[in-house]
Amino acid sequence: MSEVPEDIEETVVQRFNEELKDPVKLVFFTQEMECPFCAQTHKLLETVANLSDKITFEVHDFVKDKEKAEQLGIEKIPAVAILGKKDYGLRMFGIPSGYEFQTLIEGIVFASTGKSELSPKAEEALRKVATKPVKIQIFVIPTCPVCPVLGAMAFQFAIASANISVDIVEIAEFPHLAVKYDVVGTPKAVLNEKVQFEGLVPPGQFLTFIQQAAQGSPTGISPTI
Amino acid sequence: MDVNHLTDQQSMYDIAIIGGGVSGLAAAMYAGRMKLNTVLIGYPPGGVIATTDWIENYPGFISLSGKELADKILAHAKEYEVDMVFDEATEITRDGRCFTVNTAFDEYQAKTVLFATGTRYRKLPVPGADTFEGKGVQFCGLCDGPMFQDKLVAVVGGGDSAAKEALILAQWAKHIYVIIRGDQLKAEPVNMERVKKTEKITLVFNTNVTSIEGSQGIEKIVLDQPFEGKNELVVKGVFIAIGSLPLSQLAVQLGVKTNEKGEILINRQTETNIPGVFAAGDVTDTQFKQAITGVAEGVTAAYQAYRYLGGEFVCTCVDDDYLDCPAAPEDLRGRTE
Repeated sequence: MSEVPEDIEETVVQRFNEELKDPVKLVFFTQEMECPFCAQTHKLLETVANLSDKITFEVHDFVKDKEKAEQLGIEKIPAVAILGKKDYGLRMFGIPSGYEFQTLIEGIVFASTGKSELSPKAEEALRKVATKPVKIQIFVIPTCPVCPVLGAMAFQFAIASANISVDIVEIAEFPHLAVKYDVVGTPKAVLNEKVQFEGLVPPGQFLTFIQQAAQGSPTGISPTI
Repeated sequence: MDVNHLTDQQSMYDIAIIGGGVSGLAAAMYAGRMKLNTVLIGYPPGGVIATTDWIENYPGFISLSGKELADKILAHAKEYEVDMVFDEATEITRDGRCFTVNTAFDEYQAKTVLFATGTRYRKLPVPGADTFEGKGVQFCGLCDGPMFQDKLVAVVGGGDSAAKEALILAQWAKHIYVIIRGDQLKAEPVNMERVKKTEKITLVFNTNVTSIEGSQGIEKIVLDQPFEGKNELVVKGVFIAIGSLPLSQLAVQLGVKTNEKGEILINRQTETNIPGVFAAGDVTDTQFKQAITGVAEGVTAAYQAYRYLGGEFVCTCVDDDYLDCPAAPEDLRGRTE
């Protein structure tokens, strides 16, 4: 999918009108050569940005704008940083198509509101466990219907804690990472390169993994949805 | 999508719906519509049906994905005043006629409880199944199929789920072997036809997988009967579709009666053996488990909870009686049915 289907576009426009608060900037990194999905991703993001006056779209060349890429932690393309009033650490790598389109929309809404939908007690628990920076990588594929659930939850953790950053990675576009992180099923999460789990986990269990990552203790489980 | 949306934790809910699948969501929609103070607690939103690629037997929709169906019912439920908590209920206790539901972070109190907790996938009890779970032993073709592009895979199971899983995997896999314990594939006729027409699917009857073997990843499965002269089949992935187990533990802890399969026993009104406790969907002892039957049980349960709480509103009465129904909420009169 390179553009937004009409019926979905209508729903997204309505949601943006109702929920977007602060301006959101989609900072896209691309290059003309050797990036099979860059052109499609560019078109998709541009289309989404045009669905609301509160969204701006910025395009950077991954090679020429190396400094900007490094500043935003962009190491591979296509990539988009979703920035709200501040940088909450929301990143997506690979084309956000299929079910991942939902994750993109969630990211834009969260970045705009600057608020998670976690309960006050859950946010308090997050603050207690995320005592050090934790980078959460979530590996997904566009056909995975449950992946956006985990992605949206991780995005909310990033919104609620300055110590959390989230990379959503479309694993089919980065096969070397599938090998590196032994990704056989999706979603798969890797936290601070040490803690990992496969499948969906409820928020409380996710926090336990964040705590382990913050403490630097390796572990791994494979819950099934 | 809401995750852990919470409004007023301190209030006493009329009904706590446990489970975020289509049965629970439909119950939430009806309960909200009947002005019950409702909280739905469940994870993941949409439940297991969200992993179904296509549904062609939900009346009104010729074909749609499981996630689409769940999203539509979720959106419908959100049209009413319903609190949605997308988290797992960890404990439910009863104090007199009231119930307390705990999640990892929060506590909710309700006058009635509806268990719509669904099922989880049944695991294959053979050596290697645990070792390779998530590393080649998978449960969701839609989620994991692309990781097996041009590879040989096996599907274990002999029902409609196995047929659908094989058809999903045919989009990516080089070849799919369906390992069936019995002498036939018990799939819906329409899916059976599709399987027969798909050349890259081979059905292997009267055969059990006895182990899953490999080193870094799965290399082969061992069979108890020879297939094409060998008891081993080289595959890189094994998708398990051998049915599911009811998630009834929380209900059992509350004293709810189940059958030998662990399914919650309900009557036609979705009542359990405990007053004020209802159950709906795949977790119950209903024989024909479908999205539409689960949804029907969910809305029945919402109505029964309404009656249990003192409502007299009868949805089934004829129009004249209906308008005279004294307890019908004002905004429902003339708008339902």
